Amino acid sequence: MLLPLMSSGKTVGLVVGLWLILISLLHATLNLGAFAPKNVGTSALKEPFRVGFIPVTCHLTCPVTDFINKQMTGSSEFEPVRFQGWPELKDAFISGYLPATFILAPLAMRMREDGVPIKIVYLGHRDGTAMVVNRESQIYQIEDLRGKTIAVPNRFSNQKLLAVKALQDHGVPIDQVKIVEMAPPDMPAALFSKAVDAITSGEPFMGQAEMDGYGRVLYLTKDVWPGFISCVLAVREDAIRDHRDVVQRLVDGIAKSGKWLDEKMDHRMEAADFVAQYYYNQNPRLLRFVLSKPPDRVTYTNLALRRNDFLEIEKLARQTGILRGKVSFDDYTDTSFVSTDSSIQPFAWDYAKTK
Amino acid sequence: MKKGILLPLAVLVVIYFLWDGAVLVSKSDIFPRPYQVFLGVVELVQHGLLLKYVVASLFRVSVGFTLAVLVGVPLGLLLGWFKPAFLAFNPIIQILRPISPIAWIPLAILWFKVDDRAPIFLIFLSSVFPIMVTAIAAVQNIQPVYVRAGQNFGVSQFDLFRRVIFPACLPQIITSLRIALGIAWLVVVAAEMIAVNSGLGYLIIDARNAGKRYDLVVAGMLLIGVIGLALDFLVRRLESFEEVKWGYSQRM
Repeated sequence: MLLPLMSSGKTVGLVVGLWLILISLLHATLNLGAFAPKNVGTSALKEPFRVGFIPVTCHLTCPVTDFINKQMTGSSEFEPVRFQGWPELKDAFISGYLPATFILAPLAMRMREDGVPIKIVYLGHRDGTAMVVNRESQIYQIEDLRGKTIAVPNRFSNQKLLAVKALQDHGVPIDQVKIVEMAPPDMPAALFSKAVDAITSGEPFMGQAEMDGYGRVLYLTKDVWPGFISCVLAVREDAIRDHRDVVQRLVDGIAKSGKWLDEKMDHRMEAADFVAQYYYNQNPRLLRFVLSKPPDRVTYTNLALRRNDFLEIEKLARQTGILRGKVSFDDYTDTSFVSTDSSIQPFAWDYAKTK
Repeated sequence: MKKGILLPLAVLVVIYFLWDGAVLVSKSDIFPRPYQVFLGVVELVQHGLLLKYVVASLFRVSVGFTLAVLVGVPLGLLLGWFKPAFLAFNPIIQILRPISPIAWIPLAILWFKVDDRAPIFLIFLSSVFPIMVTAIAAVQNIQPVYVRAGQNFGVSQFDLFRRVIFPACLPQIITSLRIALGIAWLVVVAAEMIAVNSGLGYLIIDARNAGKRYDLVVAGMLLIGVIGLALDFLVRRLESFEEVKWGYSQRM
């Protein structure tokens, strides 16, 4: 022990200084990769083109595109940035840190109303949400939710609108249920401990409650709202103006990834493995479960923007007061990047050959 | 000396069995048993993540806390000494002081984006106020006889500050450093909720996202606790220096 022997302020200063240098060097080496050989990128952009995502299956095409790009060409001009929750992701987009992000559709529309220069350019997926109740509960049909507490991921989430639609379609007034906001990762434990009666969010968190045996699916999206959209790919208007070609390549990559995922069940299982390992840090078994049971639990085709889908979201969003009806489809979307779904070909890439 | 080790050890053993027993009795397959937490730590070591995460958190706390000391101590001493400055700035300090660092997260992202600067800023905020407020109080409560004695020697204002006021306040400042470092370390989990991709706080939040990895959540909590204990031990060594010892022995 050096410290007890010292008695001068200068020595303390020296030790603190040395510690700061040491810990900074260690941090730079271990976490920032400051001394690792730099990859010379092909992109002309000064900053990497960041794309925000959250580790849910709604955003699966983001890591899939990155992985396939890197495998096919050795590099990617896009940098997927993983967030842990909606508020942080939204703040990073507003601050301009993220030129593009996957985001909840109603949240993107609301941000447009609030004056954020956001444009929805493509869908992230279709379906991919469930309402799950505790296995032991007496809730067997949507009507049984009367008087119960339902956890939704965010007030601007389409999962909330989906729940509202399901309840309304079954004659349950919305004020007869209690809706609370909860981060999706916390939902399975909340259901297990019966802190809430029902949970609804993007996968894989619903699948987890089901796979672990204490959750029972009350409905899948396709039962209530076929072709349901929860998350979309959104881009800042300045990015579209200044780097239209980059945005086009991003949308193309996302579209090809989606087709690739839906081409074969093998592709989905491969994606579950590499996404779980390199991007989501989740159990691959869980991703395999939600991508296959049933196969149309979440889908990644027919992702071009269609006016009617958004009109339906708008209608429900205005009813529940999360949109004021100040903006329309033409304000918050830019449909020019993909004209028709049929024009898109899947990535011609075989994971088995790269292993 | 033996009692000093045996007693806490006995408490730890009791807690270990209570914890393990409670999980077994409740048949919870969500809450991890102690050995599962241990295996979680082993897994982190195997993946080379433990050192990375500990270094990242220590880096952010070290930089944020050092900045807080460099700003908080001189500013506190000055505000404590110059009454008008104190009157002018005290209300704003008292308004900012109770705001939780978590409340600053949205602004931190807007200002600093999502790299290391944002968590460092949050850690700085959490620790600068306790240091500053203690330094102010230390100067204000200084024994007038010290100051008068100094003035009788005819020293300049600057020397009075350096040779009399600063040393007289040092014991209290060091105690405040101990408390502030504890708070800085406490805030690391919240600070690392911002999209940084390393650190012990990140470990906990990432483990939540990973599905049923409560073993890693508890492992992260315990690691934060143990490192916090070590940090406190180190800062306590400062209290044994000759320059400040008088300030503590007096109270004993």
